[in-house]
Amino acid sequence: MAVPIANSIRRLRFEHGEMTQGELAEKIGMTRQTVAAIEAGKYSPSLEAAFRIAAVFGVGLEEVFQWQG
Amino acid sequence: MEAPMSFREKAAWIGLVSAVVCFGVYFGSIALHRISGRGPSAMHLMALCAAAYVALQGGLTFLAARATPGAGAPPDERERLIQARSHTLGYYLLTVLVVALGAPLHFGHPAPDILNFAMLDVVVAGCAVSIAQIVMYRRGI
Repeated sequence: MAVPIANSIRRLRFEHGEMTQGELAEKIGMTRQTVAAIEAGKYSPSLEAAFRIAAVFGVGLEEVFQWQG
Repeated sequence: MEAPMSFREKAAWIGLVSAVVCFGVYFGSIALHRISGRGPSAMHLMALCAAAYVALQGGLTFLAARATPGAGAPPDERERLIQARSHTLGYYLLTVLVVALGAPLHFGHPAPDILNFAMLDVVVAGCAVSIAQIVMYRRGI
């Protein structure tokens, strides 16, 4: 079941030198499969992981994740 | 594009396949023995199947670890969540199956049968954990 949180990870990855899911996963200490699940909206990351993702792209949390509820 | 399997998803598949193959042979032989009255000693068969299970799971896990980059990394938060949920399911299933052991006891089955039923409970619960993990890995969570 998809979670009510949209994200812009795919766009942000491509805006940051076409970063691969594997590269992002390595930077935040997760597996590529977990990054794929987050990006597809199948898994909601913890607050810590969300901040790590935002920090990799150098943007605020709300630019990465948007509440759709 | 479908992401390739993570090491822990491969490990779940390996655990499931190893258990089904090795303990399938064991319980199948026990069932045939009960029907035909012939077959190998249960103790020898158990030792053989347990050794085959350890060897199969160990060997396949070793191969999967060598073929998967980052296999030695600790589980991330999603993998820990999947492990926790699947083991919770396995715990409740095992609890129900252990309580259900009262049925063969009630009908006066001998001790070796009860031991085999108990082993079957553990194998079924272990398979349920692996299946739950595989389903959650495939679904994303």
